[in-house]
Amino acid sequence: MVERFFYRSHTLIVIMVLIGIVWIALTRVQPQAMLQETRAGGLTASQAAAPAPSVGHQAPDFMLPALDSQAVSLGSLRGQVVLVNFWATWCPPCRAEMPAIESVYEHYRDRGLVVLAVNLKEDPQSVGAFMTQYRLTFPALLDSDGQVSSLYLARVLPSSFFLDRRGVVRAVYYGPMPRSVIVGMIEQLLGEEP
Amino acid sequence: MYPLIQVGPFNLSTGGLLLLLAVLSGSWYLGRVAAQRGGTTLATQAERCFLPALIGAVIGGRVWYGLFNLDLYLQSPGLFVALRVSDFAWPGALLGGLLLGFAWSHGHRFERMALADSAALALPFVQVIASIGLLMSGEAFGLSTSLPWALPLFGTLRHPTQAYYAIAALLTGMVVAWIARKHVAPGTLTAVYLGLQGIAWLLIEAVRADSLVFPGGIRAAQVLGLVLLIAALMWMRQPQRIPHEPKILIQH
Repeated sequence: MVERFFYRSHTLIVIMVLIGIVWIALTRVQPQAMLQETRAGGLTASQAAAPAPSVGHQAPDFMLPALDSQAVSLGSLRGQVVLVNFWATWCPPCRAEMPAIESVYEHYRDRGLVVLAVNLKEDPQSVGAFMTQYRLTFPALLDSDGQVSSLYLARVLPSSFFLDRRGVVRAVYYGPMPRSVIVGMIEQLLGEEP
Repeated sequence: MYPLIQVGPFNLSTGGLLLLLAVLSGSWYLGRVAAQRGGTTLATQAERCFLPALIGAVIGGRVWYGLFNLDLYLQSPGLFVALRVSDFAWPGALLGGLLLGFAWSHGHRFERMALADSAALALPFVQVIASIGLLMSGEAFGLSTSLPWALPLFGTLRHPTQAYYAIAALLTGMVVAWIARKHVAPGTLTAVYLGLQGIAWLLIEAVRADSLVFPGGIRAAQVLGLVLLIAALMWMRQPQRIPHEPKILIQH
């Protein structure tokens, strides 16, 4: 019976091919589609003035030591596009997305991209070994007491915050990001007027 | 989302553990199905064919993933062999497993179609468990939606694509099991499984947020899904596969 159904449906294959192609074309990934869900819409001055770790607000300022012991202040990076990524070496999704972040960083840093990889409560030796092993060139900051992670409500690792040149949070992404998402967001923010 | 389970000092990946459980229970279930359908001979063949098919699935799953993240993988070729459960893609795993399993069974003169049909009955079982693992680890997540059954994930309500995959695998398993009770030609169960798998990819990938894509945003799994569906339909349409019906001769 099963075979007979298919055998008699001589036009079924042609119809399925056509429907399939149209369906695939209609449901293809729009490069900006995935970003729309977290993008700030209709940003107002009052929203941007209030620091909060959410879209449309000024990113809360912080200062953390980097692996080389030099302190890095978020406020000093105004004028550049910043990706703040909260992570840990024991977190598989964090490890999974690091090569993508490094690749994007290498490509866009000359145009004004800064990546701050805020490590959650791990010792400098482990973090340093990880950065060397994965050949990561962006600065790793040590959030030894977890205060900055708490300030940014980064309960999920990895958590990523995209800040525009004014220091406003323009997108928040929880979980590992596909490279296309990182590139799409960075391209958009770098293309905006300072 | 529970991506990690802490067991003593170890943080174990939920997705990885469920995948391991899926593979082990799939191996057991395949042997059982093969024994039911072809006795000890087929069960032994299934047992001997399982490891090569699994190796093919691992290689295929990783290569497929690597090809769609080629810039990263060329930059760090070690990723091709890294122990990263999240860097596997089911379409590649299915293709790799099928190809190597088929080649192995062909080389050893096993009953290829009977083995493939047994695998078609066992694979949905594997996929249900693996999909639950994906749901727990948060991988293969869906696009944002306001539908009533949306699940909160990464700070927003999303299509529970992992649950869709689990349900699709469950339905596929039920359909294949139902057809298996009937008298059908060898290979039919495989064709039905692949066809339904193709439909699942065509539909579910449409609402997935982290699909692997071709240039232009075309989702790779959907393309393979369409190819599988068409191949299954063409397989089913082969005239020689239609069982002969008894002719009723009426004498006047």
